[in-house]
Amino acid sequence: MSAHPALSRRDFLKVTYTTGAGLMIAFALPGCSKEASNGPAPTPTSTLLPALKGPDALTPNVFVTIGHDGLVSVTVPRSEMGQGVRTAFAMILAEELDADWKSIRVKQADADPVFGDQHTGGSASISGSYMTLRLAGATARSLLISAAAKVWGVARAICTAENGMVIRSDTGAKLSFGYLVPLAATLPLPNPIGTSLKDPKKFHIVGTRMASVDTTDIVTGHARFGMDIRLPGMLHAVVAHNPTIDGTISHFDAAKAMQVPGVRKIVPLDTGVAVVGDTTWSAMQGRQALTVTYEDGPTADYSSHREEQLMLQTAFVKPGARELVQYYVVPFLSHAPMEPMNCVADVRADRCDVWVSSQDPPTFKDSAEEAAGTSITNLHVPLIGGGFGRRLQIGPVDYVAEAVHVSKAVGAPIKLFWTREEDIQHEYYHPLSVTMVRADLGDISTLQLNRSESSAVPAGAWRSVENVPEAFAHECFVDEFAHATKQDPVQLRREFVESRGLTVINLAAEKAGWGTPLPAGHGRGIAYHATWDVTHVAQVAEVSVDHGGNVRVHRVVCAVDCGVVVNPDSVEAQMESGIIFGMTAALKSSLSFEKGRVQQSNFHDYPLLRMDEAPVIEVYIVPSQEDPSGVGEMSNPVIMPAVANAVFAATGVRVRRVPILPKTILAG
Amino acid sequence: MSGITISVNGKSFSVDVDAYTPLLWVFRDVLGLTGTKFGCGMGVCGSCTVIVDGQATRSCITPVSAVAGKEITTIEGLSPDGSHPLQKAWLEERVTQCGYCQPGQIMTAAALLGQNPKPSHQEILDAMSPVLCRCGTYQRILKAVERVAQENAS
Repeated sequence: MSAHPALSRRDFLKVTYTTGAGLMIAFALPGCSKEASNGPAPTPTSTLLPALKGPDALTPNVFVTIGHDGLVSVTVPRSEMGQGVRTAFAMILAEELDADWKSIRVKQADADPVFGDQHTGGSASISGSYMTLRLAGATARSLLISAAAKVWGVARAICTAENGMVIRSDTGAKLSFGYLVPLAATLPLPNPIGTSLKDPKKFHIVGTRMASVDTTDIVTGHARFGMDIRLPGMLHAVVAHNPTIDGTISHFDAAKAMQVPGVRKIVPLDTGVAVVGDTTWSAMQGRQALTVTYEDGPTADYSSHREEQLMLQTAFVKPGARELVQYYVVPFLSHAPMEPMNCVADVRADRCDVWVSSQDPPTFKDSAEEAAGTSITNLHVPLIGGGFGRRLQIGPVDYVAEAVHVSKAVGAPIKLFWTREEDIQHEYYHPLSVTMVRADLGDISTLQLNRSESSAVPAGAWRSVENVPEAFAHECFVDEFAHATKQDPVQLRREFVESRGLTVINLAAEKAGWGTPLPAGHGRGIAYHATWDVTHVAQVAEVSVDHGGNVRVHRVVCAVDCGVVVNPDSVEAQMESGIIFGMTAALKSSLSFEKGRVQQSNFHDYPLLRMDEAPVIEVYIVPSQEDPSGVGEMSNPVIMPAVANAVFAATGVRVRRVPILPKTILAG
Repeated sequence: MSGITISVNGKSFSVDVDAYTPLLWVFRDVLGLTGTKFGCGMGVCGSCTVIVDGQATRSCITPVSAVAGKEITTIEGLSPDGSHPLQKAWLEERVTQCGYCQPGQIMTAAALLGQNPKPSHQEILDAMSPVLCRCGTYQRILKAVERVAQENAS
């Protein structure tokens, strides 16, 4: 990456210029936690100089506002769900601004067209905004340097910015950003095409292990997730839905529910029946007491077991003479974020305010507006208690529409939430898939992969999406091919994986001690995948299997090349996160449907991996100057085949359907 | 409905709710203490964990009437300013991702260390494993608790 990259018209347009502070919409609520703070504001060192005349704040674009107190507000239009986007965005902007990190405050953007795409998915927040944020910071820096040059009456060329100050190189004199703000805010915006970006070699914020800006609030209980929003006069609602995929409620009797203390109102909805109470508990009790009659929908006889058998039959191909053919199954999976679905809505005569933990604020706003019947809707985005794609929905967002309808019907602010059972029963699921893989045993390059997916129930983007079944099938098959042709699985991959992929494979193999002896009963498995062909990840899992067929993953070595690293700590955390998330699907949990209904309902029958089942994880990052390419969904697809291949190495048993259960291993 | 008096974070509150109301919803909907989280509603995920008379307690399945007269501590009351050794260790080890389950993780660890200031590796695993984290921060939680256990041992 050069220090002065050529800017495309797209980059130019992405930096949306505004003329005032009016578009800087802060997320602020009564009782809301303070904005992320990293210590006291720097004291201006220019107090002996006469104050400059002009506006109190410099807002050269929608991403940054610098106050004359020296505080720098960075507005983040992507949603935070633990992947560290608020911290990373602030780091990138602060780097180009040459701000003092302690002066940075992070604000969460509302849904707002000025930001363009606000969708948080595809691991693309940083890759999609890296240059935009650098330009946003560099533009502000340029204005502050121009202001300082005017104050001193010198050429811009002898002025540089550093740590919240502009410094005059001939005398060493300094002026603080805060002091310069009133004058800088009166200067014409520089053309971004002429704005020089820093040489990445001089980065001292980007590339450092920065703590999350939200972590102090989290460990003190002050962080505000969607579930934590409270408004004066707010009531609480839960909804009775038909527990099947597409059934309805044909009739209900509210009499008993209304007798429950604290229940205020029963609101029939298109999607179910809402029970409104003074507290969540009273609403839940009212729902228990509600008498409902269910009516079956079109898929009332759906069985996922039956469909899986049919898909396997349909996928069957007759192997050629020297051909290896195998079939791999990934079942329905639930996102199961710890924070259940919820939405706070306050519908008034002339406006509607909505707070919802959303991975796509604009489409959620559309849902709210449609339900409210007003275009004056403000959608605010609290922290997300786990996303993984669950909070991305195509089309109307059911629980948002429900909250808005209930608020309208009751005439009060409403917090509506779905219990864990409601979420697992009415998810947008990772779809059941069967993947057929075939290759001529004489030539790995003949490998073909054909996946079919169930479309019987609503499907959504489950962390890494199609990369999960694709990597599971491909990487298990390569392992089988290596075994069938008496080759080492790492050596075989070296023959057809190139450049960055080869680097991570070699790094993971070396760090894991590939080929070195293991204790009896242990086995190693390797897998490699480049999710969406952008970030390269290789993992080596070391497992043992006991006499009961129970798999224990002892250690996972993970090598990753994700281009320029903004925050190495976040990269490591996301690699660890994907491994644990993927291990739940690899070893523990899946969903099944019978009679059109999900058989599982909560964490007792959709168990998540626990701490005492978690491996020791080592992450190695390949240094790179390639464009940053995302990390949130890059590790998850790799662990499933790495574990399956390690189970084979330990036991000689191939498992081609996850979760890998003890009974499958014992059956051989 | 009857007034039930409970002691939360050193303060006494009289709450006018049904006696069976789970403590979780009293914190969240009545007292405005939203640090304690709902995850499952059946005591299997641990996000709602608080400390009652020194014991880690699942507040989503504990009726408010069962804790009248007992000392309850929530994440908001663990320290006045985030200075509890566990809170500091959580920052040192960069534990948090989404953060939703972390109050339950920290309160579970605080109850463990309150009863056993120098727990072994296995004792930490035994106490912490029932508390679920979908982001997969377990390795860092383990390091953070071990850090405090080692501080206590030295």
